[in-house]
Amino acid sequence: MKKLGKMILHICLLYIIFLFGNWIQNTLHLFIPGSVIGMLILFLLLITNVFRISWVDEGANYIINNLAFFFIPVTVGVINYFHLFSGKGFFLIIIVLISTIFVMGGSGVVSQWLIRRKECQHE
Amino acid sequence: MNEIILATVAIIGTFFIYQLAVRIHHTWNYPLTAPVLIATTIIIIILAMFHIPYETYMIGGKWINELLGPAVVALAYPLYQHRETLKKVTIPILVGTLFGAILGISTGVLLAKWAGFESSIIYSLTPKSVTTPVAMAVTDTLGGVMSLSAVFVMIAGIGGVLMHTFVLRLFRLDHYLGRGVGMGSASHAIGTATSMEKSQLEGAISTIAMVVSAVVVSIITPGLVHLML
Repeated sequence: MKKLGKMILHICLLYIIFLFGNWIQNTLHLFIPGSVIGMLILFLLLITNVFRISWVDEGANYIINNLAFFFIPVTVGVINYFHLFSGKGFFLIIIVLISTIFVMGGSGVVSQWLIRRKECQHE
Repeated sequence: MNEIILATVAIIGTFFIYQLAVRIHHTWNYPLTAPVLIATTIIIIILAMFHIPYETYMIGGKWINELLGPAVVALAYPLYQHRETLKKVTIPILVGTLFGAILGISTGVLLAKWAGFESSIIYSLTPKSVTTPVAMAVTDTLGGVMSLSAVFVMIAGIGGVLMHTFVLRLFRLDHYLGRGVGMGSASHAIGTATSMEKSQLEGAISTIAMVVSAVVVSIITPGLVHLML
């Protein structure tokens, strides 16, 4: 019961940071989502030791471990777009797959090249 | 009164179906049994069987949506956990994911434009490589359809895992860093789960890449898309 209370408290804190991120987005007219701004703020607060990890860990851990639950309702919304995937829409799946190959290969090749170069310099 | 009952049934129902999907995924651990795919399929079948409109389901569903924002904020936690690893390899991860993000956005936009799809679909497709809550937020900013973007994210995740052996070999990715960055930047949490099975280190790199790539994509997408459309 105590654990549940702590978790709810942590999630409330995460929610407040999210609202703060939204406020920053609106005030500064940024196109970066408020939630992402909130994430960066929390990360900065944690590494600068302003925030203790014990203030958010239980809630954050629960959300991360069950991340899929929170976007199921939106995903179910595809029910209104089924017609899109018949016929020509099939190409969309192919496009996503081709693009995914590029992302996986491209990001991997560049980072692997950089780390190998770094490792060579150290030896 | 009726609405409150409907909302409660939708929320509790979604929760139990999700738990069931997680259990199925634990028993048969394949990319195609990803809990989100199973749970979504079950709910769609139920809605279709009883002729329940999506809008009715969302009377409850929208409350679950409320937690998507804090869910993104919570991603700072795994990034913080892996901060020592992150410090050691900041440049390779940052440059790698940035390159991957530019490739992913531009190939997505150009291919979809070339195939003649309308811009709201292109906006929904662009952020497919990042974790669903962030992809939905980016799609929303651009003016796309959030439900569609969630589906494209799922295709990128499951497809990426199904193709990863082939892709990693094709691009000669044999270093744990290259493999982890590739999996995390292209296939988000589903890719990260696969990396975790290979090694803890590769999983950590994949987690970092997933979060960093979510930040990078949400920053560069609007500018890059408007440049190309």
